[in-house]
Amino acid sequence: MTALPPAAFLALSGALLGVGIFGLLSRRNFVLLLVAIEIAMNAAILNFVYFAAFATNPVVGLSGQSIAVVVVGFAATEVAVGLAIVLALNRSQGTIDVRRATELKE
Amino acid sequence: MNLPELAFVALAAVAVVTALLALLVRELVHTIMWVAVFFVDLAAIYFLLEAPFLGVLQLGVYAGAVTVLLLFGIMVTRKRIFSREAATGIGPASIALGLLAFVFVVTAIAEYPTAPQAVNVYAPAALSADLFGPHGPWLLLLGIVMLTSVVGAIYLVREGREA
Repeated sequence: MTALPPAAFLALSGALLGVGIFGLLSRRNFVLLLVAIEIAMNAAILNFVYFAAFATNPVVGLSGQSIAVVVVGFAATEVAVGLAIVLALNRSQGTIDVRRATELKE
Repeated sequence: MNLPELAFVALAAVAVVTALLALLVRELVHTIMWVAVFFVDLAAIYFLLEAPFLGVLQLGVYAGAVTVLLLFGIMVTRKRIFSREAATGIGPASIALGLLAFVFVVTAIAEYPTAPQAVNVYAPAALSADLFGPHGPWLLLLGIVMLTSVVGAIYLVREGREA
């Protein structure tokens, strides 16, 4: 499937990144912010995977997939820490609305 | 435009639409359902891009673990997860979209072994040789970061901590 131009793939990951950033900016629930970050991170992983698929040098292609595997691990770690923050926020504020998380400001 | 390209265009459309829906629906549980469809859809794209190991990893880590973790986060922070809104029907449009994604997952997986661009070097064995060879330091770093984040998460949620 090399007939499609790379612009099509870049358009998809760009759109996903845009959706993720839109979610980060528009939603106020902490869990929804985590979902938005995951969508944006998946756009980055997608970039690694399809530049690996279109690499002329096989070593470069394998490197792209290896880095994508590592990034998937980092993203899963980030969700775990994010949920710990959600639980701590819920315990201290009684809500996971990020507008109410102003303790450090005061 | 042959079948893999058509499949990619449809999968890309489903990915963007489900990502938008996940962030736009009012009910949090529906958000998790849409984002699960989004993750499965991306796994199909990885299969299409000759990265079968990453596709399986996406299904296991994202569609499995991350989805359940997010659902868990909603369950412990809301009092009424199975409230009236959560019990309403999903609707024909979302069911049709889910079926479409499923059909294209099947298409992508069925297409993979006979794809003309399928190179042997993308086999999982070659990938693991590369992952544990030249990229070993990255895996080591990932392990250290995971260990540190587990310690940090336990510190954040431990009992008896002052708010």
